[in-house]
Amino acid sequence: MDGLMLRLLLPAFLFLAAILGIARCDGQGDRSDLVIAGGGEVFTLDPQRMSYLRDMRMGGALYEGLVRLDLENGGFKPAAASSWETSDDGLTWTFHLRPESRWSDGSSVTAHDFAWSWLRLLAPDTAADYSSLFFMIKGSRAFWEWRQEQLEEAVTDGIVDGPGLWMDAERRFRETVGIEVLDEHTLRLNLEYPVPWLLDLLAFAPAAPVHRPTVEGWPVNTEGRSVAWHEVEAPPWNSRRFVDFNTETGRLQQDHRWARPGTLVGNGPYVLEAWRYKRDMRLKRSPTWRDPDGVRNDSITTLAIEDPNTAVLAYESGSVDWINGVNVEYRADLVEMARTGQRNDVHIIPAFATDFFSFNCRPRLPGGDLNPFADPLVRRAFARAVDREVIVNNVTRLREPAIATLIPPGSIPGYVSPEGLEHDPALARKDLEEAGWLDRNEDGVLESDDGTPFPVVNLLYTTNTPRYKRMAIALREQWERVLGVEIELTGRDTKFYKNDLREGDFMIARGAWYGDFGDPTTFLELCRSTDGNNDRGFVDEYVDRTLDAAAMEQDPRARMEMLSELERYLFQEQLPMVPICQIVDIHMYDPDRIEGVSHHPRQVQSLWNIRQMQEREALAGVSAP
Amino acid sequence: MVIARLLQLPLILLAIYTLTFMLVWIIPGNPLEKPEGRRPPVEIVDAMQARYNLDDPLVFYGDYLSGVSGLDWVLGDREGPVIDFGPSLRHENWTVNEILAAQLPVSILLGLAAIGLAFFIGVGAGVLGALRPGSLLDLGSLLLALVGISLPAFVIGTVLLVVFAVHLGWFPVGGWGEPGHVVLPALALSLPFAAYMARLTRSGMLEELQSDHVRTARAKGMPEYTVVLKHALKNALLPVLSYLGPATAAAMTGSFVVEKVFAVPGVGTHFVDAVLGKDITLILAVVLVYSTMLVLLNLCVDVLYRWIDPRIDADGLAA
Repeated sequence: MDGLMLRLLLPAFLFLAAILGIARCDGQGDRSDLVIAGGGEVFTLDPQRMSYLRDMRMGGALYEGLVRLDLENGGFKPAAASSWETSDDGLTWTFHLRPESRWSDGSSVTAHDFAWSWLRLLAPDTAADYSSLFFMIKGSRAFWEWRQEQLEEAVTDGIVDGPGLWMDAERRFRETVGIEVLDEHTLRLNLEYPVPWLLDLLAFAPAAPVHRPTVEGWPVNTEGRSVAWHEVEAPPWNSRRFVDFNTETGRLQQDHRWARPGTLVGNGPYVLEAWRYKRDMRLKRSPTWRDPDGVRNDSITTLAIEDPNTAVLAYESGSVDWINGVNVEYRADLVEMARTGQRNDVHIIPAFATDFFSFNCRPRLPGGDLNPFADPLVRRAFARAVDREVIVNNVTRLREPAIATLIPPGSIPGYVSPEGLEHDPALARKDLEEAGWLDRNEDGVLESDDGTPFPVVNLLYTTNTPRYKRMAIALREQWERVLGVEIELTGRDTKFYKNDLREGDFMIARGAWYGDFGDPTTFLELCRSTDGNNDRGFVDEYVDRTLDAAAMEQDPRARMEMLSELERYLFQEQLPMVPICQIVDIHMYDPDRIEGVSHHPRQVQSLWNIRQMQEREALAGVSAP
Repeated sequence: MVIARLLQLPLILLAIYTLTFMLVWIIPGNPLEKPEGRRPPVEIVDAMQARYNLDDPLVFYGDYLSGVSGLDWVLGDREGPVIDFGPSLRHENWTVNEILAAQLPVSILLGLAAIGLAFFIGVGAGVLGALRPGSLLDLGSLLLALVGISLPAFVIGTVLLVVFAVHLGWFPVGGWGEPGHVVLPALALSLPFAAYMARLTRSGMLEELQSDHVRTARAKGMPEYTVVLKHALKNALLPVLSYLGPATAAAMTGSFVVEKVFAVPGVGTHFVDAVLGKDITLILAVVLVYSTMLVLLNLCVDVLYRWIDPRIDADGLAA
């Protein structure tokens, strides 16, 4: 060979060798006891900032709230609190914490930790998505509003002393908000009104405690690091790594980077061993966890595989044990295989969530045009024209439970779902006629009595999954066929879609809602006129009044009946949206190998309860195709 | 000349930054809002916007510019890294610097592997095809080029995964961290580049093999491989080399599809995901990094040109 060949080949070989060599150094070590593919990257491990299910699932493994959902038997289980009692009027709850609970750095978990974490949750500075869910705590809404005003006033007066303002806020929180630390291990909550689902909220990730010295980034040698932080003077603000104050607004600014391997301190069964952005997150058994025998695996890896198909292939190849949330195009075929018994590793879990299509209930559209959907009769006609069975059997093909009410029936103990409007083309046409829309001059177009033709209906759907496009196409066909209207589809990316929703720039739009706690109001509050997620612009005084009255009702049975009647009124008469089906979650895991995956409809998982039933090594030879 | 080209770099980047910034700013939506789920109260949204300067484009433009250029660092206004791309607006637990530090090496590594593979496959197929035009070998290389250019990466990627990872079990399905993780995505990423290089090499070779100096070399009785490799290929490679610059930059900044299909944690996904999520700081960062790489690699190619063909002189470089 001459020089040229060498000149070409040598560098090439060198760099291929180098590449493989470098790639090797980037590895992460042994396979964990359990490898999960959960559809994408976790956003945050700061519990108060969480609002995604996958974040909360990790939150449940790293932190422990006062109570947990009992996934096997329903109801609740003691967690950080070993017991609790309620006053007769349901307004005072006292929780007894376990003295043996430890943070992963070895310090005790105390009632002060909870009180401080809830200050974080309830202060507007944290911008917690879920703070308003906890406004039933006495004085908390007032505190939230007071803090906003305090900051605004300071800015108007031109004296922005961030730390001073915050200290005032802390003091006010202690004095006016109904969270009392009775002693190190006793915590009392005072509520504005009785909240039967309080435990549900306390089991929720945003209510989990965080470790103040960690979150604020106290210097490592601070005393509070080893003994309880509430017993020592907090270090000066400028030495706390993760908090500072905005010089213009005076707001407390939090840097969430404490929630990283090495710095994160939790009180849950696991500690965070590694988190590599968009790669994987590895949890390992916490050395300080109070119940070592209750943790059935030593390590868990969650892979951030974003492509749904790759997740399934990784599962098929054995490198992933469990996919929670199968989203492949062919998942309907997987469901079919599960139904006919060809596969035993596809699991269909109905979620506490509903797919629906919203009607724009505002009297006028943004352009100023009259909106026919402001009329409940028109909305009813459209709802009656929907054949849900066709959609779940032939369009989504997942055979989800078709439902005509917003709350998935049977999902809340003690709550009886009312009947909704079933598919009835004849009644649908009659409703529309009654609303004044009929083909008066027989040109195939509906007109009102003054001759205005029924506008072309703009149906808005999101394009990030084909699911909603297919649903929208099916609905267009049903509405056009049954009602003789013309429907125009608008597919939008989620960002644009959200904008359109907010501005009311649609006539019908796809929507979905996941319930947050086991009470009908988690769904029904969507229909309150002032709710931040009332995309429909639906305003009905009776609904608002009933929701208020239900909140004050002391008798649980009477309350449930009120809410059931409210749901009947909403989904037989008003129809701010037309419910289509309960959403289902599809999981893949081999039931002969993996044990302990929960089918609880709230999609909560106790990761520590899941284990491989046999040695993986023994199976490795068998599982290869 | 090289110095002059390097001096142009900041100006080019400034122009790109300004243009990208304007485009990004008009994307609707708010990066601090989560695509699904509850909406925070309006006051909170406003406060968060103010915190990240999202309420004022000019302030944002200036702040970000002084961060990425290192100006504020030079002036002593800021500690930490010289070049600061700011916090990621969508992933609050990470800064853009951290994201790039974790992901850019992955993309560069994968890109280099892909370009290396592409060079071998492409040039090899091109030379073989040109030696016997119309033969089965030539048809084969044409077919490869056709497949490589026309089949989308998600098809190639999925086929590679199903065959080599799931059925044969030779390579892991996805992820990153061991040599086996590089092979399939590098192959999938390399095919379009290989295809293009094969076409370039083939036409270059066909021309060169007809040329006078090759005939002379053959007449002198030189062994065929010397004729082909030294006399013909050297000249035929010039167009491939000029393609290598942009191709390497493109491969090294990753591919959205290949990274998704093989679950490779590279920067390519941000070109789509960051835009969809309106993660302004991240979009600007990846665009700036890509532009820098493109400019530098084009410069490298021009220098390489001179090394391969000394007739191209410094003046040619400037052109």
